[in-house]
Amino acid sequence: MTTGSVTVLKPGLETTVQELPGRIGYLEQGFPISGPFDSWSFRQANILVGNPRDTAALECQFLGPGLRFDRDLSVAVTGADMGPKLDGAPVPMWQTLRVRAGQTLELGPALTGARAYIAVSGGLDTPVVLGSRAVFHMARVGGQALVKDEVLPVGSPYASRGEILAIPEASRPRFSVDRRMEVEALAGPNDSWLDPASVEMFFSADWLVQAKSNRTGMRLTGPEFAFADRAINKKSDHGQDPSNIIDHGYPLGAVNLAGQTPIILVNDAPSTGGFINPFTVASAAFWKLAQARPGEVLRFRRIDREGAARLRAALDRVTSEGVAIRV
Amino acid sequence: MLHDTLRFYPGGDRAVEVELGDGMVFTLNFTVHRLVAALREARIAAIEDLIPELASFQITYDPDRISYEDLIREVAAIYARIGADVSGALPSRLITMPVLYFDDQTSDCIADYTKAHPDKVADPDLLCRINGLEDRAALVRRHSGTEYWVAALGFWPGLCSLLSLNPNARITAPKYNPPRTWTPKGAIGIGGALCCIYPDRTPGGYQLIGRTPAPIFDGAQRLPAFRDSLALLRAGDRVRFRPVGAEECAWIDAEVAAGRYVHDIVEYQVFSVDRYLDWEKAQKAGVRA
Repeated sequence: MTTGSVTVLKPGLETTVQELPGRIGYLEQGFPISGPFDSWSFRQANILVGNPRDTAALECQFLGPGLRFDRDLSVAVTGADMGPKLDGAPVPMWQTLRVRAGQTLELGPALTGARAYIAVSGGLDTPVVLGSRAVFHMARVGGQALVKDEVLPVGSPYASRGEILAIPEASRPRFSVDRRMEVEALAGPNDSWLDPASVEMFFSADWLVQAKSNRTGMRLTGPEFAFADRAINKKSDHGQDPSNIIDHGYPLGAVNLAGQTPIILVNDAPSTGGFINPFTVASAAFWKLAQARPGEVLRFRRIDREGAARLRAALDRVTSEGVAIRV
Repeated sequence: MLHDTLRFYPGGDRAVEVELGDGMVFTLNFTVHRLVAALREARIAAIEDLIPELASFQITYDPDRISYEDLIREVAAIYARIGADVSGALPSRLITMPVLYFDDQTSDCIADYTKAHPDKVADPDLLCRINGLEDRAALVRRHSGTEYWVAALGFWPGLCSLLSLNPNARITAPKYNPPRTWTPKGAIGIGGALCCIYPDRTPGGYQLIGRTPAPIFDGAQRLPAFRDSLALLRAGDRVRFRPVGAEECAWIDAEVAAGRYVHDIVEYQVFSVDRYLDWEKAQKAGVRA
C-alpha cells in the first residue's frame, strides 16, 4: 500500500529505482537482470531505514538527485560520497536520517566512488514490471531514469524500533584511494579461445576504465590479446573475427571481448551476443565495478569457485541486519 | 555438428554455458530447446534463468543452493534420458509481419553510415551480390518466401534470431565492421545466416533490408499482443514476412500509434518436426533435380 511520496526536484544523472534480486526469469526474452550495481551499499541503505535489505531504493550515478519528502520518513544514503545535504546542511552517510515532511535532500557530484544509494523507510512502491521494480532505463523497462517533478510512491513503513542506526566503518565497502582496484575474477567460459599467455596476461596487466562505461558495460583499455587456434581456424558460422562465436548467452559479470576491447557486462548488459567471454568477475565483486570511475585502473585477481563462495559469504555477513549498530 | 557429449563452460560463480554442438542449423537448435524444456520440467529450484541459443544454452543458478558439480550432473542425466532426437510435434504460433522493403528510415540509416564509411556497399545491393540475386525484387521474393524459426531471443528485450526454414531461401551476409551506432526501430536485418527484427532504436551490425511497422516490443504494453509480456516473440514461434506498400505501412504505423493494431498471429498450429524434416529434404532435392 502506498502511503506517501517523494518528489523529484532535480533528477541527477540517470538516477533509477532498483530492487533485488532484479528481473529473474526473462533473460530468455532478452530482458537483463538489472538491480543495484553495488548490492553491498544498496542493502546497507535498506537496513539503516528498517526495510528488508532487498527493498526498492534509488541508485544515483556520478551526480545525485534533489528530492523533497512529502511525509515524515527515515532515509539513509550509502555508497559513493555525493555530499548529501538536508535543507542545505551536510548530513552523515551510512546512518539513519530522520526526515520531516517538506524537507529536501540534495546530493551533488561523486567525490569518491561512482554510485550512491538512497533508501526510504517503506521502500519505493513503483509498479512491478515482469516481476520486479528494477529499472532498465535504456529500454524503459520498469520505468525510466528520474525526471524533474516526478513523484515516487513510498510504501508503508515496516515495523521498526525507531532507532538511529549506523554502519561501522569496518563494515562499509572500501573505495579506491589511489585510483586502483583489485577485482576478483574467474577464468571462463571461453578462456580456451585465447592463447594461454594472454589468459595469464589478463590477470597481471593494468586495465584502464574508459569513459564509455555505464550500467550495460564497462569498457577497458589495456594490452592486446592473442588467440588460440580454435578462435582462428573455426567454422564460418562463428563469424570472421577471432573474438566471434556463434551467438550464445552472456553471464552477468563476463569480460566480453569484442575485437580487442574487453567490456565487462554488468547489470543492464545484453543477455546474448556473438563475442567470446574469456573471464567472469566473481558475483560478490560486482560492487567494486559499480564504484570504479573512468580513468581508474583495475587489476584482476584470479580465484576459483571456492574463493568466490567465500567472497559471497563475507558479503552476505556485512549486508545482514546485525551489521548496523545503534548510535 | 552435434557434440558426442555436452560441454560445460562455467561463467563465473553463478552461470554455466552448456554447448551441444557447433553450427547454426535448425536441428541443433531444436535439440537445445528440447533439453531446455526438459530442464524446466525438472523444476530444479536453484535454477534462476535459462537462455536457449543457437547451439548452446546458459543456466544462471544460485550456487548457495546447488553446487556446480551437482548442477551439471543433473543436466547431463536429463540429456542422457531424452537423447538428441529431432522428432515430435510442438505448438508453434505463426506470426506474419508486414514489411516495407527498402523504406526511407533504413535507407537513411544506411546513408548515415556510408558518410563515415564510403566504401560500404549499400546493404540490399551487397546482399544481392553475395547471394547471387539479380535485383532487389529477387531479394524481396527470397526473403518473404519462407517461414522463419525463432531460434533465440536476446541482446535486447525482444530481439529475435530467425532461421529460414526453407533451405533454398537462405540469405547470408557479413556483419557491419565496425557496427552501426543506431538502427531504426522495426528494421529487418540479415547477419551470418540469421535474420533479425530490431525491437527498438539500438546499435546493430546486421545488413538492413526494410522495416516492419508492427512492433515486437511494447514497453507500455498498450497493444493486445503484449498482454503477457513486453516482448512479442518466443523461441519456437514461426515468423513470415509479408511485403506491403508505403500506403499500408503508413496505415499500420497510425494504427499502432492509436493503440489499435492487432498483430497477425495464428495460435492454433502445431509444428511437426518429422514432417518438416521430410519436407526440407524434398525441397533440397527439388533444387538439385
